[in-house]
Amino acid sequence: MSERQVIKRAKYKSSIKDPGTPGVLTMKRERFVFMPSDPRSLMKLNVEFRFIIGHKFSKEAPNKKALLNLTQDKGESYIFEFDSFPDRDACRDFVAMAIAPPANAGKASSDKPSVPPSSEQLSTAEMDRRIKLLQVDSELQKLHKEFVMGGVLTEAEFWATRKKSLDEKISSKSKQRVGLKSDMIFNVKPSSDGQSNRVKYSLTPEIIHQIFAEKPAVRRAYLNLVPKKMTETDFWMKYWRAEYLHSTKNIVAAAAEAAEDEELAVFLKQDDILASEARRKIRRVDPTLDMEADEGDDYTHLPDHGLSRDVSKDLTDSQYDLYKRSFLQDLNRHAAVVLEGRSVDVELGDTRSVAEALTRLKEVESANEASNTHVEQGRSDLISRMAELEDLQGPRDHPVAPLSIKDPRDYFDSQQANAIKTLGESQSGSKHKKSILNAHEAYGSLRKSISEIKDLGLTDPIIKSEVAMKVFSELTLRISNTKYHHGKDPHESILDGLPNATKEEILHQWTSIQELLKHFWSSYPITTTYLHIKVNKVKDAMSKIYQKLQVLFGPIEIKSSVRQDFRHPVSLLVQPMTQALDAAFAHYEVDFQKRSTKSVERPNGFV
Amino acid sequence: MKFQIEDVTVYFPYDHIYPEQYAYMLELKRSLDARGHSLLEMPTGTGKTIALLSLITSYSLSKPSNPVKLIYCTRTVHEMEKTLAELKLLYKYQVECLGKAARMLAIGLSSRKNLCVNDRVLKAENRDSVDAGCRKLTASWVRDLAVQNKNVELCSFFEDYDRAGDVLLPAGVYTLQDLRLLGKEKGWCPYFLARHMVKYSNVVVYSYQYLLDPKVAGIISKEMEKESVVVFDEAHNIDNVCIEALSVSVRRQTLEGATRNLSKMSQEIDRLKATDAGRLRSEYNRLVEGLAQRGNLPNNDTWLGNPILPDDILKEAVPGNIRRAEHFLSVLRRLVQYLKGRLETENVVKEGPVTFVGSINAQVGIDQKMLQFCYDRLHSLMLTLEITDTDEFLHIQTICDFATLVGTYTRGFSIIIEPFDERMPHIPDPVLQLSCHDASLAIKPVFERFQSVVITSGTLSPIDLYPRLLNFNPVVSRSFTMSLTRDCICPMVLSRGSDQLPVSTKFDLRSDPGVERNYGRLLLEMVSVVPDGVVCFFVSYSYMDGIVNSWNELGILKEVMQHKLVFIETQDVVETTLALDNYRRACDCGRGAVFFSVARGKVAEGIDFDRHYGRLVIMFGVPFQYTLSRILLARLEYLRETFQIKEGDFLTFDALRQAAQCVGRVIRSKADYGMMIFADKRYTRHDKRSKLPGWILSQLREAHLNLSTDMAVHIAKDFLRKMAQPYDKTGGGGKKTLLSQEDLEKMGIGNTDMLF
Repeated sequence: MSERQVIKRAKYKSSIKDPGTPGVLTMKRERFVFMPSDPRSLMKLNVEFRFIIGHKFSKEAPNKKALLNLTQDKGESYIFEFDSFPDRDACRDFVAMAIAPPANAGKASSDKPSVPPSSEQLSTAEMDRRIKLLQVDSELQKLHKEFVMGGVLTEAEFWATRKKSLDEKISSKSKQRVGLKSDMIFNVKPSSDGQSNRVKYSLTPEIIHQIFAEKPAVRRAYLNLVPKKMTETDFWMKYWRAEYLHSTKNIVAAAAEAAEDEELAVFLKQDDILASEARRKIRRVDPTLDMEADEGDDYTHLPDHGLSRDVSKDLTDSQYDLYKRSFLQDLNRHAAVVLEGRSVDVELGDTRSVAEALTRLKEVESANEASNTHVEQGRSDLISRMAELEDLQGPRDHPVAPLSIKDPRDYFDSQQANAIKTLGESQSGSKHKKSILNAHEAYGSLRKSISEIKDLGLTDPIIKSEVAMKVFSELTLRISNTKYHHGKDPHESILDGLPNATKEEILHQWTSIQELLKHFWSSYPITTTYLHIKVNKVKDAMSKIYQKLQVLFGPIEIKSSVRQDFRHPVSLLVQPMTQALDAAFAHYEVDFQKRSTKSVERPNGFV
Repeated sequence: MKFQIEDVTVYFPYDHIYPEQYAYMLELKRSLDARGHSLLEMPTGTGKTIALLSLITSYSLSKPSNPVKLIYCTRTVHEMEKTLAELKLLYKYQVECLGKAARMLAIGLSSRKNLCVNDRVLKAENRDSVDAGCRKLTASWVRDLAVQNKNVELCSFFEDYDRAGDVLLPAGVYTLQDLRLLGKEKGWCPYFLARHMVKYSNVVVYSYQYLLDPKVAGIISKEMEKESVVVFDEAHNIDNVCIEALSVSVRRQTLEGATRNLSKMSQEIDRLKATDAGRLRSEYNRLVEGLAQRGNLPNNDTWLGNPILPDDILKEAVPGNIRRAEHFLSVLRRLVQYLKGRLETENVVKEGPVTFVGSINAQVGIDQKMLQFCYDRLHSLMLTLEITDTDEFLHIQTICDFATLVGTYTRGFSIIIEPFDERMPHIPDPVLQLSCHDASLAIKPVFERFQSVVITSGTLSPIDLYPRLLNFNPVVSRSFTMSLTRDCICPMVLSRGSDQLPVSTKFDLRSDPGVERNYGRLLLEMVSVVPDGVVCFFVSYSYMDGIVNSWNELGILKEVMQHKLVFIETQDVVETTLALDNYRRACDCGRGAVFFSVARGKVAEGIDFDRHYGRLVIMFGVPFQYTLSRILLARLEYLRETFQIKEGDFLTFDALRQAAQCVGRVIRSKADYGMMIFADKRYTRHDKRSKLPGWILSQLREAHLNLSTDMAVHIAKDFLRKMAQPYDKTGGGGKKTLLSQEDLEKMGIGNTDMLF
């Protein structure tokens, strides 16, 4: 919003193939104006942004034209070609702001008085975030337009319920970490040209990273030796030479070579860093897996006791033990590193910084491990959980994970259809249930649960977890049921059977009702006049929608707006909406009466 | 839930119970009433352990005047931890029901290596050095010395424990971890605390050897009451454990080490003669009086006991010619020399103990009586010499073990001398093995001493073989089937690869590249359709090593890695443990992994691959023992002569119990599910297949008996889809597979058999 207007040179095209009319494009807050440079041209444009519903733009590429396409709500579109991409981007950003949150634009000036006193001063970052969210989600934009601009809700109220999604969106924006490849890329076979005795290894930054991650001794050697003692090329030559020696599986030869060359020995010997790491890690291993402890308890297999097993004894002398290294070990090590995942944020190209980053990482890790004391507790919890037989025990309180559904519609579409289906029975069922308990019993159970709370204190979920579990499983069961009823395709629901316009209308009404209801219920109990005003406003808006619903899908008009065959499903769909609204209205009425009687009674009581 | 079995109120920590668990408890209870031994086979995945624990502890609670003690033996330490975790659940429930009356004290007992909290001692690499390190700080003479000399180092944990006197732990269940934590907190030595508490606890969980191996049992288990119930869980290999407990092998290194030990000891004797000749004299006098041992040694001075069974230890005086220390040493020197000579042989020699002892007597003049007393005499000498670094003296101990065993037993043993390993004839590696063939020897004292011994496992088929192998008469011997709510296990026999050529690990096909490729393709196809964990078992380390390398060359391994991470069991225990830990984490985080392991290896012995840790097990080949091994041949010969068991039958039985054991680890409860693939054409033969336990056979459909890779993949996809559907856990319809307390009460006693 910082710039009030943007003026750029551009060509206006009626279609993409059109060579275009050169001219000047001026973008202001409400409208954009195109003046052709040739004053005789008829291509003058003067369009208000509120008619523009979307914009597209071409990808930035050297040999591509910088295009911006503004779509009008009537289906027409205006295509502009800019001289350069930065120009285009400036216009694009302006358009985006102009069309997306008209309310934001207006808010700065006109809406201010109606904002409740608690309204926070918005940072620009916050604003950007909201704008972005609105741009991404057209539905949200529609809602925003309808309620905030319609004055039903204030800006702050509207966003207050969406704080979470604002935050979450941000956190999810942070780039997803890329894991490591499962392939063992450094375990490459050398290529040979078949003529000379030479073999060729190839090395890429990716391979170097993997080698450093999986062979800390090599990493250490690199940090120590390069570039003080040898060049990088020499270093890798030595490394591959050692690998080659290993691949020949001639331990004696390897030992002989190592004896001659100190640096080569580093690569040929077993990795001592790994060994010490293993010793450290073994203490933290799940005791139900710990075979090392088992060996410590095994007195039958004292040296030379018991029967020698199938073990193919290595008969080479122990002096070569150091140089023994098997492919299986490498495999295990590789898998372990992959499992830990890539956590170095350094450019892979620079070998040294990769090595240093990995070393740092290890240090941090070991420091963390040393300070971590609750691991033991967690481990014993895990063991006791593992010890249980799952199906003998009724379901236990499962650790609560916040439910995160990206697009609620996916979940609730199917839910809704179901809810309708079972509406009839469940209603009668719930009525029936209500009468099972008499007042005395109800009082008793209430007392019991209160005393329970007194004893135990109130933990976070007030609902008993079994109950929650039951509800949850019932819900999911229903989902699977509908899917079953509606055939294989999970997306096929009643809604999809409707004509598009009707479907959209219904969905739109549904979301706006949801939004309003959310605000409506959240403002109870009414404690301040502000809330009182809000409730009234919301209620008015709701009654408007209610009337609209009646008009659109009501029992009388339904014939006109909806085709005959959809009458039933549509009325079923609309029913819960009206019911929800009815409930809200009823609550409003009751509350209203209570308040009025109170205000009447009180003077009586006092006087 | 709480229910009655005849006169016993059973506390069972779950809301439901499987019918087979109930039946299992019933049989168990009857065998306890009859004060006899029992042999019970119940499929894995039916909660055997908790049924056992729950019944026996409840039985003990119901007889407060004469409570039975439970000695629960597991094969491994990690199984011990699992058992204790289940016991914790049970104890929690008992406390809920009974409050203070649920006085249960359960402890896990292990070696110093696993219990020690002294950082200095723990630094040692292996178990024997930890034991020795402990002795250096706690031996009675070291402590005596410390009284005079303040510079002598002691273990503060042991001292504090000793000062605290007769400490008792409050009721509860103590895992090794709990003991260590408690030890650190109170400053008491957990190891000696645990050893002390064994006397007072109702439940003791420890390893098989603590009862079966006379060397350990003599120290740890000698004070157990007769009224104890001994349980051997996962006991399908118990015959092998028994045999190993009484077997010794001697190599060149052993003899060299023994020679070094002897010269060290003779130096010590010379030194002692000069400084404290009285000590040697008093030892001599004691031996004359016929006391090989110095009365009751304090706990901290004991080490491994006599390698022979308690009944066979002679209550006589040590023979005169080895009473003097120098004489004894010279006898040992002659013995070592003789053994060295025997090792120099060029061909394989097999002898009975009697002829062997005869030739020792003829050549170096050591008679059978002297041999028999070797171990006791050495023990006494080492105490006299106040040797603490016992780990240095293991070699001479081995020699004395050997001498005592060979001098004591005349039957059921043979001595085999091999100049080299059959598989590597060019490398000389002479070994002299005293191998025991009679599994009933080691377990006999257990059957005699305790009123009830329960042998149980998921795979004890054929169940009539075990009483013969172990030579006992069970009062109850029963094999339970599994009532399945749904077909949650899916065994298959795969006989052909996708190219329709047979696959097998038979010797002639083993290294055929076609077979290796077909096995590789099988794995590849399977990892691409099976979610989470996949476990593969191979017939031996060398085979696994070979095939993994060739899969790597063929590029199959690379493709497998695109679907799942690969972890492998190696001969290094630490590495294998870490690999397993990582494997579990990979399964937990959803990445999925495949674990390569070896039948008869450490992993196959006791690691569970239940739930998502193992949705599929592939058994590559039939895990036969190495049939050319002399020891095995000797054992087979013994079995044929004594029990009339045919060699082939025993080998097949042994291979298939291993295979069943490997694949059986995949399932833990009826809510769990998993597939098992037996990939070898030999499994199609009825004589092989029929040796599998009944609960696997009953699920093995006719149509799954002879599959090729593509068919198996198809079946796997189908099975996984079916298992992913929600189902009724109580198994509606005719048979109930999950009983609630109500069901049990309704059922009453007597008609439980109708369930099966």
